[in-house]
Amino acid sequence: MAFASPIRRRRDGRYAVRLPAQVRTLLATLAEQMAPMINSDDPAVTRLFPPAYIGDDTADAEKQYRRLVDGALHNHHHQAVRILSETVTADTLTADQLSGWLSAIGSMRLVIGTRLDVSEDMDKPAPGDPSASEHAVFDLLGMLQATIVDVLAEDLPDEGEPARAL
Amino acid sequence: MSDVQTAPVEEVRTDLDESVSPDRPWLVIVWNDPINLMSFVTFVFQQLFGYSKEKATKLMMDVHVKGRAVVSSGTRDRAELDVYRLHEHGLWATMEQSG
Repeated sequence: MAFASPIRRRRDGRYAVRLPAQVRTLLATLAEQMAPMINSDDPAVTRLFPPAYIGDDTADAEKQYRRLVDGALHNHHHQAVRILSETVTADTLTADQLSGWLSAIGSMRLVIGTRLDVSEDMDKPAPGDPSASEHAVFDLLGMLQATIVDVLAEDLPDEGEPARAL
Repeated sequence: MSDVQTAPVEEVRTDLDESVSPDRPWLVIVWNDPINLMSFVTFVFQQLFGYSKEKATKLMMDVHVKGRAVVSSGTRDRAELDVYRLHEHGLWATMEQSG
């Protein structure tokens, strides 16, 4: 039996989503936990708001940047998590909704990964390690993110779009 | 009539303080992080900058292998917008003036 890809672009431009119920439940739970975290000062969440300026004498420039973007950046993450929450049981998604999933899943993965202090070649946790289930969630989110990227990347021209770079 | 010798008037130019020169472009730098997927980073470079898949992949590998890469350059306003869009996608980007 062929393995049906969990997310697939349909001819009408929408995306078909086939995920096990447990995965959908997990995503809904994570989104629910994530929403209040975005505005908190949880250290793992600060990874979503990295500095734009680093180095000597950049404190003022960084303060200006934060004043300029923090509101919009917080809203962006809230909106993505909201889209995921509202469409987590959907069988089809629009491109915008799928982009929202990508953003929310990516953000949640960043927060979990930061909390777990993952490194690039780290070993899987030993059985019984209390972080094992969080690692499993981290891995699952990675697989989902990779799947969504593959599907959305199909629509990008290999040769690029120079006009966009202007 | 006596010959008055005048030394040429030399214009003494002080170089503009380099740190406030408006002409040096601003560079947008993306830093490696242990979490973001390589395929995702490549995708973001293609989507945000319109780079070809080849160029986006090369930039991603530079970030991955060298620890950082310059992904775009331009005016300060433009660099700030690029940094913001990269932050929206969860990448760590900073900006600095070249030179």
